[in-house]
Amino acid sequence: MTPSPDLLLMLLADARLPVAGHTQSAGLEPAVRDGLAAAHVPAYLRARLRTVTAVEAGVAVVARAHLLDGRPLAPVEAAWAARTPSAAMRRTSRGQAKALLRLAGRLWPDAPAVRAVLDTDAPSRPVALGAVAAACGLGAAELARLVGYDDVQTVAAAALKLLPLDPATSTGWVHDVLPDVEALARTVRDLDSPAAVPASGLPQIEAWAETHAVSARRLFSA
Amino acid sequence: MPDHTTPTPRALRLGVCGPVGTGKSSLIALLCRELAATLELGVVTNDIYTDEDARFLRSAGVLDADRIRAVETGACPHTAIRDDITANLMAVEELEADYAPLDVVLIESGGDNLTATFSPALVDVQVFVLDIAGGGDVARKGGPGIERADLLVVNKTDLAPYVGVDRDRMVADASAARSGRPVVALSRTDRGSVVELTTWMLAQLERHRAGALVPADPGPMAPHAHAHPHDHLHDHVHA
Ligand SMILES: Nc1nc2c(ncn2[C@@H]2O[C@H](COP(=O)(O)OP(=O)(O)OP(=O)(O)O)[C@@H](O)[C@H]2O)c(=O)[nH]1
Ligand SMILES: [Mg+2]
Repeated sequence: MTPSPDLLLMLLADARLPVAGHTQSAGLEPAVRDGLAAAHVPAYLRARLRTVTAVEAGVAVVARAHLLDGRPLAPVEAAWAARTPSAAMRRTSRGQAKALLRLAGRLWPDAPAVRAVLDTDAPSRPVALGAVAAACGLGAAELARLVGYDDVQTVAAAALKLLPLDPATSTGWVHDVLPDVEALARTVRDLDSPAAVPASGLPQIEAWAETHAVSARRLFSA
Repeated sequence: MPDHTTPTPRALRLGVCGPVGTGKSSLIALLCRELAATLELGVVTNDIYTDEDARFLRSAGVLDADRIRAVETGACPHTAIRDDITANLMAVEELEADYAPLDVVLIESGGDNLTATFSPALVDVQVFVLDIAGGGDVARKGGPGIERADLLVVNKTDLAPYVGVDRDRMVADASAARSGRPVVALSRTDRGSVVELTTWMLAQLERHRAGALVPADPGPMAPHAHAHPHDHLHDHVHA
């Protein structure tokens, strides 16, 4: 019996998943260093969901579709790279993909989608997530929700380290943007071709990512 | 001499952990200084603020700067060496791939508390470092690293007279807490102790190459164990 999509989603969205999630702040650390305060974090979450996270979710959904039909991944990777102008963000994404694929290769060693992505050179995180979804039977909408939710929780968890906070406050932020995560999922769930992925960058987040990559005394990798 | 005709699958992974400021980076710098001429080495650091340790080691000039890699821990140094070792494993594997074949990869944990030790899935063998200036009682307090790390280093013994600690007493207490596992009383100014340390490390490398090194978990706070029937008793380092 295959596990329900609900349970798979819980497994993949759990911060205890060993994919080095504790090393990530989803760009919050350089933002805080540049003056972003706790009060701005909800706006930061929404801005990401509409821009960089929409790209990631869209690419993941398209990668899943390509892997399920045996279509090539190169155009999907190209669409992701073209929409991710920051080299630092591309490096981070590839590192996260590596961590995820290390786990996926153990959990679904025979899944053709996982094998296909393991065989490519330096895949991006959304493509690796697409492979995981294809391997474990997760639908496109669930996959998009996972990408959005994980991004929001990554910021919220990092906020607890970077800004003095009652954790109920940051959990409230997460709760309050769940409709935005759902809206993101609706926007990208039916995407099928790389060209259809939203091309929505956010130059300030990209600039922060570049600064962070060369700054000393980082707590978080990105 | 190591038998180079038998290819080993990968480098020996040696973990160095212990509380903040006890001398982990210095010990790694010392090992590099002593052994870099004869062994291919790499280093992975896990500082709270990413690159302090890496910068210290690079500036020590004991190893090519690119062989020293820093891993971010998101302020979770304990997680990074124990529960989710992914970031560290990736860094170690990248080093091994970039400089194949490496003999030893040294991994420095972020300075943490007495309970932090490495997962045996990350390191083959681990050293726990204490500072003699932290007080003679620390060894008696025990904990997984002090009691069961493969080697306990009581470091900076040159400071003992200035801080009113009886070195021999502290080493005896540590040995008792460790049921006879090895202890090295180290000071960078004491040549004999440096040789003891490198001798121990080379012996671990031999065991690793011979396939005789089985990584052991010092464990979380565990019930006190008594006699140790296994081979640890054969590789004491006499302080
Ligand atoms: N007197 C003396 N000082 C030492 C010795 N070894 C290290 N130190 C000093 O102890 C201090 C801390 O050493 P580090 O090697 O940075 O300690 P660490 O454990 O890496 O510290 P964190 O990474 O911050 O946890 C430095 O000032 C060293 O110079 C020693 O043998 N004798
Ligand atoms: Mg250090």
